[in-house]
Amino acid sequence: MEEYVGALWDRLITGAAEKRHAAAAVRLDDIAKSAAIFFRALGGDPGLGISAAPAVRHGARRRLLQRVAGSGEKIELSWRDGEVLRLPSQIDLFAEQALNRDLYFWLVALAAADIDSSLPWIIRNQLATQATLERFPGLQNRYARLVAAVIALRIPPQKLPPDEAAQENAIRQALQYPGTVGAITLAARPFQPVPLWPHPCPPVSAAATGAAGAGSPEQGGSAANKKSRRKHMAERTDAKEDKNGFLMMFRAESLFSWSEFVKVNRPQDEEDDAETAQLAAEDMDMLTIARDGKTSAASVRFDLDLPAGAADDTPLGEGVLLPEWNWKKQVLQPDYCSLQQLIAMDAKPCELPSALKNTANQLRRQFQALTPVRHWLKGQQDGDELDMDAWVQLASERNSTMPTSEHGLYRAQVNQERDLACLLLADISLSTDAYVSNHARVIDVIRDSLLLFSEALAATGDSFALYGFSSLKRSHVRFHYIKGFEEQYSGQVRGRITAIKPGYYTRMGAAIRQAASLLVQQKKRQRLLLILTDGKPNDLDQYEGRYGIEDTRVALIEARKLGLRPFCVTIDTEASDYLPHLFGAGGYVVIRNPEDLPKELPLLYAQMTR
Amino acid sequence: MDTKTDNTPFYEPGGDECELFERAWNNRLPLLIKGPTGCGKTRFVSHMAARLNLPLYTVACHDDLTAADLVGRHLIGDGETIWNDGPLTRAVREGGICYLDEVVEARKDTTVVLHPLADDRRMLPIDRTGEQLQAPPSFMLVVSYNPGYQNFLKGMKPSTRQRFVSLTFDFPTAAQEEAVLVGETGIDTMTAKRLVSIAGAFRALRDHDLEEVASTRLLVYAATLIKDGYDPVRACRAALVETLTDDAETAVALHEVVSATFGR
Repeated sequence: MEEYVGALWDRLITGAAEKRHAAAAVRLDDIAKSAAIFFRALGGDPGLGISAAPAVRHGARRRLLQRVAGSGEKIELSWRDGEVLRLPSQIDLFAEQALNRDLYFWLVALAAADIDSSLPWIIRNQLATQATLERFPGLQNRYARLVAAVIALRIPPQKLPPDEAAQENAIRQALQYPGTVGAITLAARPFQPVPLWPHPCPPVSAAATGAAGAGSPEQGGSAANKKSRRKHMAERTDAKEDKNGFLMMFRAESLFSWSEFVKVNRPQDEEDDAETAQLAAEDMDMLTIARDGKTSAASVRFDLDLPAGAADDTPLGEGVLLPEWNWKKQVLQPDYCSLQQLIAMDAKPCELPSALKNTANQLRRQFQALTPVRHWLKGQQDGDELDMDAWVQLASERNSTMPTSEHGLYRAQVNQERDLACLLLADISLSTDAYVSNHARVIDVIRDSLLLFSEALAATGDSFALYGFSSLKRSHVRFHYIKGFEEQYSGQVRGRITAIKPGYYTRMGAAIRQAASLLVQQKKRQRLLLILTDGKPNDLDQYEGRYGIEDTRVALIEARKLGLRPFCVTIDTEASDYLPHLFGAGGYVVIRNPEDLPKELPLLYAQMTR
Repeated sequence: MDTKTDNTPFYEPGGDECELFERAWNNRLPLLIKGPTGCGKTRFVSHMAARLNLPLYTVACHDDLTAADLVGRHLIGDGETIWNDGPLTRAVREGGICYLDEVVEARKDTTVVLHPLADDRRMLPIDRTGEQLQAPPSFMLVVSYNPGYQNFLKGMKPSTRQRFVSLTFDFPTAAQEEAVLVGETGIDTMTAKRLVSIAGAFRALRDHDLEEVASTRLLVYAATLIKDGYDPVRACRAALVETLTDDAETAVALHEVVSATFGR
């Protein structure tokens, strides 16, 4: 009973304190793509992704009810850094949905304004507001409505102590009459957050402080976590080397909170209750992540996944040294990556799986129509030459006073030249181990796609090659030989396709450079580099986020300069965040339902090369 | 040489392209114009043809365009066949300008007939009639294409490209584009400025979110609708947003740019 009343009270008081409007809420997920395009249209950096801002404690004065309810301590504010533009994961400040939506687009417009970031926060925001309103006069009405609505939500100066009132007045004036406030005298207590402006002192994200993503392995298993745009605030710390993992180095009482960093040396432990952990993480101000890469269970599982030297695929010759683009320094680092060509050792020749046979037959028939032919069509309405047979027939019909029928009197030459070579590069990193449905993993889908693709292309006679790639830091980029240009499609190739195993990470740039160097040797008029992937470039070292994307972009630009045409086929639904930057608007396609990939891929190829 | 008449189509030069065109014509050099759709390539050529007082034959190239479509073919009359010149042959005979718009769209074997015409031979062999036409000095071959066009795997054959003097067109500067809008539609300067600012924002999305971006031609359409009294936001939606994209989310973003400029 007490619990029931407690819960009821909590709901009542929280509801009363939090003037939120769930019904009018606008979620970031729903507008993220449009917001990103809007940002780029306004001149924003096209390489920037959009992500949800974590809630931060603002420390400002709250209304009495909020204090009683213990709510309103945190707020999601927007900001941008070199990697991402962060926006609240949802906006439900106002009762009008249109106004909540306007706030999103206003924040994006403000983020696109190029204002010197060294200026004080209050000046910067006023300048950005002025610049935005001047450039987009249509926003003036909307801005006025937003300001009125935001001010209505704030604690009025009359109810504040004098120092806070002065501070509040300055902010209100800056909002209403941007450009009129020169400085702000800070009160003892922080000012109430201003949802119309970006975060005054944005926390520096872990990704921006270097060594991005180290120790965050690609997830095998559930992909549920990927779906959330929300990122947690994180800080890096050095993992203390505990010599003896069983010696208790801390007092048990200090374990009450999640937020304290405790290095526990227990690599076998696994967090079974992932959901509880997720909830706990949501509540944290800061997640502390150690650099040793061994703290999370997934990482441990992954590292143990490394095959022993003897069991690994056979390396083909020496490693190839390849350059890599460092976007922070804007330099191409020569001989930075070492790539190993590998071939599956235990691949046995095999037949096409029976489940694919029907589809393969169907595709082969469709693709035979693409086989290069050059022949004359008779009886055409239009063409290069006269069709003498038709002409004689028409003449005799006329002479015999019979009614003449409609005739095409020309012969036309149908000429389909297919002078092209295609290299298909498949991502076989560990992320492809994730399940896409109850019975298939990404890797299964990729295997089936490669099989059907080969079946279809074997029917056209187009020259093609298949390679797979994965990586483990820059010293070990794995480039799997499946089928070369000179090799016939055979049971042996099918065997190699069937033998591919997911593992490691996605150092895409190096793989693209290697693939391009192979494809460029093909003396064909059209050379197509098809890249099949399920996610972003990523690796254990700094090769993550912007770094990986920019390196991949440079590798693609190099490939285009060589006269190759790169095209990406992906099943990553968030691909619209970064793929246009890499491949251009017409240079990629997202397969919404991964299970369709095996059938879609050959058809897509047919469409592109028709 | 300025034979500009009142019938010369309006054209706002962006640089020295008129001079280059005249010099190429004087020296019998073929010209290749590159540039995005709707930036004024076709208008430029008609302007120059009028200015030089030459007949102009424009061919919009496409997948199925055959050599016979350009050169000509036998037509069947009552009991006999009659040879019928194609636009290229006619331009050569009359010493005019033959303009092949979007030449990369034409099949590769079609463009081969241009080779002897485009180099110093300036000759058009017509296999079917056994003629060898020598182009008169006033004949000029002009081709254009859009390099940004993401028609996968299409491009111009290097051996064809190598025969042309080339000129790159891009969208005009903001001030020139405003002048074009005012000149073409008689719209007020403020509206012209806003339309150009919208186009600028859309053009930032070139090759990224949009396959093709707002051309001056589309801006002229929007300006025409606005001049006619149509609501500016709706005019831009019809003439720009909906024309440029089929993707709902992209359309939302473009529409936001429009309403941020014209208000709502």
